[in-house]
Amino acid sequence: MSVTVLPFVWSAGGELVKARVTQCALSRICGMCSRPLGRPVAFVGTPLEVGRNAFHCPPLHAACVGELRALPYADPTWEVVTTSGFEYVRPNREDADQRPTFQPNSLL
Amino acid sequence: MAIADVKEYTHLSTEEVEQLGRELDAIRAEIEESRGAADAAYINKMIRMQRGLAFAGRVTLFASHKKPAWAAGAAMLGAAKILENMEIGHNVMHGQWDWMNDPEIHSSNWEWDTAQPAEQWKHSHNYVHHQFTNVLGHDNDIGYGILRMAREQKWHPVNLGQPVYNALLAGLFQWGVSLHDLDLEAIRKGRKDPKEMKRQLKQIVRKGRNQILKDYVVYPALSGKNWKTTLTANATANVTRNIWSYMIIFCGHFPDGAMHFTEEELEDETRAEWYLRQMLGSANFEGSRLTHVMAGSLGYQIEHHLFPDLPSNRYPEIAVKVRALCDKYDIPYTTGPLYRQYGQTLRTIMKLSLPNKMTSDDSPEPPSPSIDRGRKTDAERPTRRTETGAYMRRATS
Repeated sequence: MSVTVLPFVWSAGGELVKARVTQCALSRICGMCSRPLGRPVAFVGTPLEVGRNAFHCPPLHAACVGELRALPYADPTWEVVTTSGFEYVRPNREDADQRPTFQPNSLL
Repeated sequence: MAIADVKEYTHLSTEEVEQLGRELDAIRAEIEESRGAADAAYINKMIRMQRGLAFAGRVTLFASHKKPAWAAGAAMLGAAKILENMEIGHNVMHGQWDWMNDPEIHSSNWEWDTAQPAEQWKHSHNYVHHQFTNVLGHDNDIGYGILRMAREQKWHPVNLGQPVYNALLAGLFQWGVSLHDLDLEAIRKGRKDPKEMKRQLKQIVRKGRNQILKDYVVYPALSGKNWKTTLTANATANVTRNIWSYMIIFCGHFPDGAMHFTEEELEDETRAEWYLRQMLGSANFEGSRLTHVMAGSLGYQIEHHLFPDLPSNRYPEIAVKVRALCDKYDIPYTTGPLYRQYGQTLRTIMKLSLPNKMTSDDSPEPPSPSIDRGRKTDAERPTRRTETGAYMRRATS
């Protein structure tokens, strides 16, 4: 029997858990290991997310990105951006996608 | 009671609530776009001032056997601690200055001059308090687990001692806050992960020990034969900071007009509804610019709760716009002189030491007649989340 540490913010099925996404955003903890973020902060996202500068995955330690990429549900198209700060944006009623987003405000 | 049921804004249609949200978004966007060198200069100036005060206070206390030096040193040190905790530490840890990309003035790196470890503050305050503002059973800032602060909370004979507990909490505030993220209720109910509790306790002991060493051993020792008077001055500075920060923090959510909520699950709020709950659950106070700076800009508690990660020096200009929106949409904007806001808070503490039937409710009447906006049923809402604090999950295969 093997024991695997699951990332804090993803369910076993690979879905983002909304309550934990909020916790990562406000407590400023890593979505992978749940420990306090450092500087810079890393975000992973599809080319679309990178292009619009709005990410669904919560902030990560740069060192945790590799571990996340190794998970079976990691998106192979994910790109990494680093920033010093970010805005946490809750969805509006009319937004088709009701997930909150992270918007880096000082890309490095 | 869901936010959608709150009588203070049920006169607004869903579209009006969303329009209010869009207008608040526009205020936010305007500040984000204009954030720059002047804001950076402000926080750097605050840090320089705070360090200057702390240095001058410590040096003056080398002569603490002379009463004027004792008084001046204690005053400067107390002011430095207040400035560090309130306007600098609290706001830096919200990430208000992260955009500067400064290695020191960053939410990840700042460790403040008080007993609670920064990491635990960012959970108990930034997340639990700011996400679940004034929601009974979720927001541990409602009475800090010691005081009964809402009529919806069940009365117990132990509440008769509230005036005493309140005085103790004020005087020992940094130590009370240091235990805040432990979540004593979760421990009592067996819901706290023992490993996480042990990790947090270690952090608290380490931080508390360093605070004690600094103010009650190292600096008094550096004063040589004046060690005793330096120690009492340091204690005075700490108690002054404790009482001031307690008063400012309690004025943020407990004057008349600041509402409590009892909804179990708020994850389905829209951004506009979240804004509304922050506005209705918070209270400002009026004062000079100096008072606001020493209060960590929490005299603009409403604006702080709407935009906790925007630079605090911008709250005065944001407040003008937010107040205009409250007038436009006929939403209460709770504010008043500091003495009145704290007076109301103190009266609430005294009154709620008694059962509800022995006291009257001081909540003001809502501004407009309400309309039925409808709300989600319990079945339509997601289940309540119960975890608190950081923890690791493991899967076996």
